[in-house]
Amino acid sequence: MDAHATALIGPGLNPVQPNRMVRFGMFTFLASEAMLFAGLIGGYIVLRLSNPNYIPAGVHLPVLQTLAATAVLVGSSFTCIWGERQARAHKRPTWALFITIVMGSLFLLNQVFEWSHLYHEGIWFNTYGTFASSFFTLTGFHGLHVFIGVLLLIAAWMLSLAGKFDGNNHNFLDCASLYWHFVDIVWIVVFAIIYLW
Amino acid sequence: MAAVAEPRPLESGVAPVALDPHVHAHHEQGIFRTYIWSHDHKMIAKQYLLTALFFLIVGGLLAMGVRYKIAFPNVPIYGLNWLLPSYMVSEEGVILPQMYNMLFTMHATVMVFFVVMPLLIGVFGNYLIPLQIGAPDMAFPFFNALSYWLYALSGVMILCSFFVDGGAAAGGWTSYAPLSNNAAYNLTQKGQSLWCLGIFVNGLSSLSGAMNYITTVINMRAPGMRMFRMPLTVWALFITALLLLLAVPVLGAAASMLYLDLNFGTHFFQASGGGDPLLWQHLFWFFGHPEVYIMILPAMGISSEILPVFARKPVFGYRAMVWAMAGIAILGFIVWGHHMFVSGMNITLSAVFSVSTMIIAVPSAIKTFNWMGTVWRGSVRFTTPMLFALGFVSMFVIGGLSGIFMASTPVDLFVHHTYFIVAHIHYVLFGGSILNIYAAIYYWFPKMFGRMMNETWGRIHFWITLIFMNLTFFPMHNVGLGGMMRRIADPTQYEHLRALQPINIFITLSAFVLGASTLIFFVNFFYSMFKGPKAPPNPWEANTLEWTLPSPVTLHGNFEKTPTVYHGPYEYSVPGMDKDFLPQDEPLKPEVKLGGH
Ligand code: HEM
Ligand SMILES: [Cu+2]
Repeated sequence: MDAHATALIGPGLNPVQPNRMVRFGMFTFLASEAMLFAGLIGGYIVLRLSNPNYIPAGVHLPVLQTLAATAVLVGSSFTCIWGERQARAHKRPTWALFITIVMGSLFLLNQVFEWSHLYHEGIWFNTYGTFASSFFTLTGFHGLHVFIGVLLLIAAWMLSLAGKFDGNNHNFLDCASLYWHFVDIVWIVVFAIIYLW
Repeated sequence: MAAVAEPRPLESGVAPVALDPHVHAHHEQGIFRTYIWSHDHKMIAKQYLLTALFFLIVGGLLAMGVRYKIAFPNVPIYGLNWLLPSYMVSEEGVILPQMYNMLFTMHATVMVFFVVMPLLIGVFGNYLIPLQIGAPDMAFPFFNALSYWLYALSGVMILCSFFVDGGAAAGGWTSYAPLSNNAAYNLTQKGQSLWCLGIFVNGLSSLSGAMNYITTVINMRAPGMRMFRMPLTVWALFITALLLLLAVPVLGAAASMLYLDLNFGTHFFQASGGGDPLLWQHLFWFFGHPEVYIMILPAMGISSEILPVFARKPVFGYRAMVWAMAGIAILGFIVWGHHMFVSGMNITLSAVFSVSTMIIAVPSAIKTFNWMGTVWRGSVRFTTPMLFALGFVSMFVIGGLSGIFMASTPVDLFVHHTYFIVAHIHYVLFGGSILNIYAAIYYWFPKMFGRMMNETWGRIHFWITLIFMNLTFFPMHNVGLGGMMRRIADPTQYEHLRALQPINIFITLSAFVLGASTLIFFVNFFYSMFKGPKAPPNPWEANTLEWTLPSPVTLHGNFEKTPTVYHGPYEYSVPGMDKDFLPQDEPLKPEVKLGGH
């Protein structure tokens, strides 16, 4: 091609890079997930600000226990990063993923206990005004995300066992772990506004 | 030369497998993979097209029902009484107020979520983005197919809601609390709940689409296709996808909360439990205002594409067009309060929303000016797509002007919740979105189906549509200013509205003609699909990349060889060139210089 044509085309686009593209797509997805939580959290904040006695007397949330669960979830983000690093170094991230899955499941288990505890105390979606509404909706939506995250990690773990991450393609692992970090960050916000505020 | 190297084939899994077209050319796919669970963006676009046209008929019939009830509130329709349950029609066959509420609620829901959005974004987003940027397919074909099927599923849910106990949702498409979240008020717990679920699933469909469009536009443009060489349709769809991505999840959150209020006894929007009905309005309109731009930006992109082609002139102010759309999109997120002036909002806040809304009219006006500048002194070819695009520009001016009236708080206090609003909605959505959808279908039909639509019938369709849409929607301004409220089943019950009844009857009769005129379009559409004259590759002599391909584009992977782009898409009538158009993949003659960008 002659110089004239080259000048006209200009810098152009690099050849399509699938890895970059998959991560990019994942980020767009997470942006919309963030807006979903922004809607729910925004609702919580509005309702709470307009209501001086927001947390009804008689409701005691297990702050310390949940703090421990939070630590486990945050920790699992780091084990997940460890897994990503291993995959990038062409080592199978089987153990790292396994530990992450266990930690994620522990978090979920704690949430199940907490919900059932509250339920037995007579606190449920339809009681105690907007506090209970928001509490169960926010933690429920988040818990659902953790659950999906665990499923994704289990899938990644099985791919790892099957040796699928031995090569250069670990898109699936990358996406699962991005999702996992996202779920983690959302939890920190949820924890802060529900348990610490 | 390195910059134009062939993109290398993508690795397996998520990315399109068809960068090398020959991979696909050789193995035939079964009926299931070709027509049903297709991963080809062109087939998915056609699936969207047929489904959304079906919903256009549904939504249209609902509208006819609405208009019938307003004009002839007590005239029975024989047969309805044995077709429909007794809470919908009386024994004689008169439409009852509860059914009227269902009719207008579902009319708007269907038109917004199942007709306009899928037609603009599902059909033309899917069809045009890869073709116009020179890509083999969308970035994530699987999610693209998923997007269509989620849309179809949500459509089935919405249709089913008519048949549940209590009938379909009846609280308006805006579903204001406390009407929507109290079964005692809306009389259809199940219908309203299905509405929430349907909207949620529909939102998931929009998101898979939006994700795809954004990723595709950013990552898969052909060599030389810089951002500022993209056709304005692609720009519009790209910006729309960003809006979808950020606005639709908020509706998802709101619909979930509404669903929980209805079925789990939460108190989000329930004042008696400490909740706040106004929270619904804020969440809904935080989505709702971007949503109206989601429904108009792609339409604006379409007209920006069609006007230069048939005026044989470069689009006037390409960059201004892009920045105007970006400005509209950003401002669109901070004006939602203009729907809530009468909600008891703080007066300062209301002034802020007023001003931000009026500012949004500026980029809208820039675009209108540029469309006129594009056509000005062009050698205009009045084809059917061009007529519709010109019709859009004129109708949009009327709708935009009434918008500015309403943006001013004192005026809105008077016209809010009257037929004036209904007039505004329809000038922008029918005169804006729907006219451009027609324009786009007439324009890209040859590329999609390989045959031309009939011009004569196209023009007849255009003129009847244009005339009768004005006869239908313009008088709505008058009845609105005359004090007629939206969403009332029987205006003759109100003393002060009786004098307006003749206008209402006139509107309804015009609406019937407008509805019937759609038949012309449908006959033309289906007849031409099978019997129309064969289309050449570039029947309109246009520049964008899809016209460099055969009609219809059959290859799964689109381009035999990745095209190289040398200039912007609107180089018409360039002095010194042999023909008056210049496809984006044809270089200029070395001695010719482009004027503008
Ligand atoms: C110059 C631009 C525009 C301005 C200043 C404007 C302003 C407004 C205002 C202030 C309202 C609220 C009126 C009320 O309820 O009292 C409104 C309602 C509405 N607008 Fe616009 N608008 C503009 C363009 C558009 C466009 C382009 C669309 C859609 C394609 C649109 C669709 C709607 C709809 C659907 C409603 C009614 C929603 C409902 O209550 O059901 N508008 N507009
Ligand atoms: Cu608005």
